[in-house]
Amino acid sequence: MLRFIVRRLMLLVPILLGLSLLVFLWIRALPAGPAQSLLGERATPETIRQIEEQYGLNEPIHVQYWSYLKTVGRGDLGTTIRTRRPVTDELKERFPATIELTFAALLFATLLGVPLGYVAAKRHGTWVDHSSLVVSLIGISIPIFFLAILLKYVFAVKLGLLPTVGRISVLIDLEHPTNFYLIDALIAGDPEAFWDVSKHLILPAIALGSIPLAITARITRAAVLDVQNEDYIRTARAKGLPPRTVDIRHIFRNALLPIVTIIGLQTGLLLSGAVLTETVFAFPGMGTWLVEAIRQRDYAILQGGILFVSVVFVLVNLLVDISYALINPRIRVS
Amino acid sequence: MSVAQAEAREVQLEAPSGLWSEAWRRLRQNRAAIVGFVLVGIFLTAALFAPLIAPEDPRGAGVDDLLQRRGPACCPGPSAEHLFGLDEQGRDVFSRVVYGARFSLLIGIVATAVGLSIGAVFGAIAGYFGGAVDSVIMRLTDIMLSIPGLLLAIGIVAALGQGIWQIMVAVGVTQIPIFARLLRGSILATREADYVLAARSVGVPGRALLGAHIIPNSVSPVIVQGTLALATAIIDVAALGFLGLGPQDPATPEWGTMLTNTTRYLQTAPHLALIPGMAIVISVLGFNLIGDGLREALDPRFRGRA
Repeated sequence: MLRFIVRRLMLLVPILLGLSLLVFLWIRALPAGPAQSLLGERATPETIRQIEEQYGLNEPIHVQYWSYLKTVGRGDLGTTIRTRRPVTDELKERFPATIELTFAALLFATLLGVPLGYVAAKRHGTWVDHSSLVVSLIGISIPIFFLAILLKYVFAVKLGLLPTVGRISVLIDLEHPTNFYLIDALIAGDPEAFWDVSKHLILPAIALGSIPLAITARITRAAVLDVQNEDYIRTARAKGLPPRTVDIRHIFRNALLPIVTIIGLQTGLLLSGAVLTETVFAFPGMGTWLVEAIRQRDYAILQGGILFVSVVFVLVNLLVDISYALINPRIRVS
Repeated sequence: MSVAQAEAREVQLEAPSGLWSEAWRRLRQNRAAIVGFVLVGIFLTAALFAPLIAPEDPRGAGVDDLLQRRGPACCPGPSAEHLFGLDEQGRDVFSRVVYGARFSLLIGIVATAVGLSIGAVFGAIAGYFGGAVDSVIMRLTDIMLSIPGLLLAIGIVAALGQGIWQIMVAVGVTQIPIFARLLRGSILATREADYVLAARSVGVPGRALLGAHIIPNSVSPVIVQGTLALATAIIDVAALGFLGLGPQDPATPEWGTMLTNTTRYLQTAPHLALIPGMAIVISVLGFNLIGDGLREALDPRFRGRA
């Protein structure tokens, strides 16, 4: 097992290097060039030269890449053009918001998708099965931002049940030691704030969770159908185990392998989807941050933000692989 | 009918049906796929015959005072005169949606073609040569896949600037690694198949082996993925448009761009959001249904059934 983890970590090195090189080259491919991009509107020939001196932009490209790696390695992503604050400071406020949203979406997708797929498989070929397939197909075909707009229209505009913008009501006063507002509310021992933050999460989480829900349900259905026909299930039934025990201990446990993998693989989809969901609900997370950065040509944020999100994505995939190997011993050997 | 003709027919009937004709037969029997063909048919008709179908210019040209026409409140909903109502600029929404199909279709097809052709070439090279070439190509796809798709597209549009070509490239590039991996995996599986070994052992040369045996037997997953990728491309293009990264001219009738500002008018004019949104859902659902149908039709495990 240890060898498997070490090998996976070694594979991570070229990916991270390639990723940093890609982002590094990308910032140099921008129409304005890096110095002007960093300066934004304030660029004059002198300030551009000054920045080029300061950041070593007049040095050969491999020297530049090396110093870029060193800066990023120190955890320095530069300063934003708009607010002149370190990118990492803003990241610390934005990232927890997206994590909170992503987690809520994943929870929604899993808690609903797994039972839905399981029931569909158990009632294979009946109307329950067919309608679950139709629902999941439609779920995959609705663009996330359109679903978000629909939810906003029905639950917020028509029914007036839930808030439509932001993470928390303006009237609620809450300290933010962690920037995970749910945790902050717990620390402050403020149930009202907790409920308010939860209410703000519901619609964005449903919108963001819809595609993962559809995929989880489909995979669960397929996995249960697959396992159901295995020889060991027939054996278990033949030796007279109660049907419920077979369902839970044999079918469901073995079907869990692909389910866990697919849930882990949703991360990239969720991070992409968060950009759109957050935009609809004006949710102050990574997504709205990056979109604002594009509108204002704040390349420091884009560069740091895209690199950060991608590294997170790579690490999550690694964790998925490792946990998969932990659950499934067959992977480790090969 | 002469005897010879009758015999010829019989011979034809007895000939073993090929993979493609059988897949086509099964596809036609799949009700979901038929629904998909109908939906895609609506979409294609709108795209191809937009100037004939749309009653007005999608950009509102030819109307003297658009804002006057819209009236003080935003915005008049569906009426006999304007089937899907007017938008906040006083333009005919029906005409815009119909023309929007052109953009989605054009960008979707070109983007998918870019992703598929480049991805397939790299995948085929990786799968056929293996070894170091394979490792290098696969690590490159790993790196590309490590950036969430939409962010990669956003980054490319930011670098290239906004415009139709740029969107095509951006969406196409995000699909390259997917096709590369798919074809590579498929070729690796086919390369070791018994019939390839048999062909090799009777002395079929390498290129003929690749062209006549390996590639034809590896393409069916690529065709399925190509159909599904069209659906993804339509969504991605709309997503870029929705984020304000669509075609530079905001008057362009692009479905995603049409959705951008609609949240402001949700209270009074929900049709502004519903109509372009439904257009996206219909075309995407259509391609997804066909893709799923193709997957089942081309899957050899289902052959001979149904």
